[in-house]
Amino acid sequence: MVQRALRYRETVRTAVIIPAFNEAQALPAVLSSLSNQVPDHDVVVIDDGSTDATARVARDGGATCLSLPFNLGIGGALRLGFRHVVDQGYDRAYQFDADGQHEPSQIPVLLAALDDADMVVGSRFGSHTGYRVGWSRNLAMGLLRRLVGHLSGQKFTDTSSGFRAFRRPVLQLFASEYPVEYMDSVEALILATGRGFRVVEVPVSMGDRRAGRPSNRNLRLVYHFVRVLIVLLAGSHRRPTQTS
Amino acid sequence: MSGGAHVLVGLLALGALLVVVRLVRLQVLKAKYSILWLTVGAALAVAAAAPGVLDWAAERLGIGYQPTLFLLLAIGFLLLLAMHFSYELSRMERRIRTLAEELALLRQDGERKG
Repeated sequence: MVQRALRYRETVRTAVIIPAFNEAQALPAVLSSLSNQVPDHDVVVIDDGSTDATARVARDGGATCLSLPFNLGIGGALRLGFRHVVDQGYDRAYQFDADGQHEPSQIPVLLAALDDADMVVGSRFGSHTGYRVGWSRNLAMGLLRRLVGHLSGQKFTDTSSGFRAFRRPVLQLFASEYPVEYMDSVEALILATGRGFRVVEVPVSMGDRRAGRPSNRNLRLVYHFVRVLIVLLAGSHRRPTQTS
Repeated sequence: MSGGAHVLVGLLALGALLVVVRLVRLQVLKAKYSILWLTVGAALAVAAAAPGVLDWAAERLGIGYQPTLFLLLAIGFLLLLAMHFSYELSRMERRIRTLAEELALLRQDGERKG
């Protein structure tokens, strides 16, 4: 059963998109675990204006590396990744964190769900996870969750998860229209559902962030929260849909 | 306004006009913005030279205290300008992003070929 699924996947070209900003420390371990777990997936690292050796480390680890001339933020980096994998003709792709937060063992879970969906979100609040966040972030995420649920007509437990997989039609949409500012993941969810794509959520386990910035300063979080509220309520994602 | 104030405003307006013309000649300022500032300078110069114009306009509009009209126009103009700049900035940001993406793709292309 597992064997058959894997053989079917060999004919499908899959890319891994890793946005990385100054992640030279954590990246080698992530790349080597990916090449062990999913050797037939092509890894694309988006070096988001890093000032350290991220680009070199990525190439040494066997990945394709796209280097942005300055930092665009995670949304901008992802959009470039989507554009690249669309240009290169990949059938599907998934996002993966450079800081080791995502576990390669969970990739098959994500991709299996993509068999009957256009987009899959790996949720850390599923059954067998122990992920905890601070109260203010928790409150903000709760509100966003409600709003997203209302706008998409679907229940999502983890709207900000960056562990996601996409099929080509969604990749094509995101290649040109992926939201480029902070909290992009929430906007992207609404964009995809608003255009009539089938988006599902699957529970996955995630590790803790290893290095870097865990969450933003509260004031910045509030600003971006309000910004996302405006974007969502203004409905700028709702242009002529393909279906419905 | 007293006579001295009129002279002062007139001189400032004249100075502004000269600065704008000079910036355009040096090609520091784009012509489309120069038109804007030249208009503003001209309006200020007229208001300084012939204060009766402002008084007359205020009276016709039913504004009892003439400086109100001046402030209203000034604030309205600045708000519109700020909105226009926000729009231009958004457009520029979009373009710069696209350029950055393009550059990253080209760089990688070049590296792959040689």
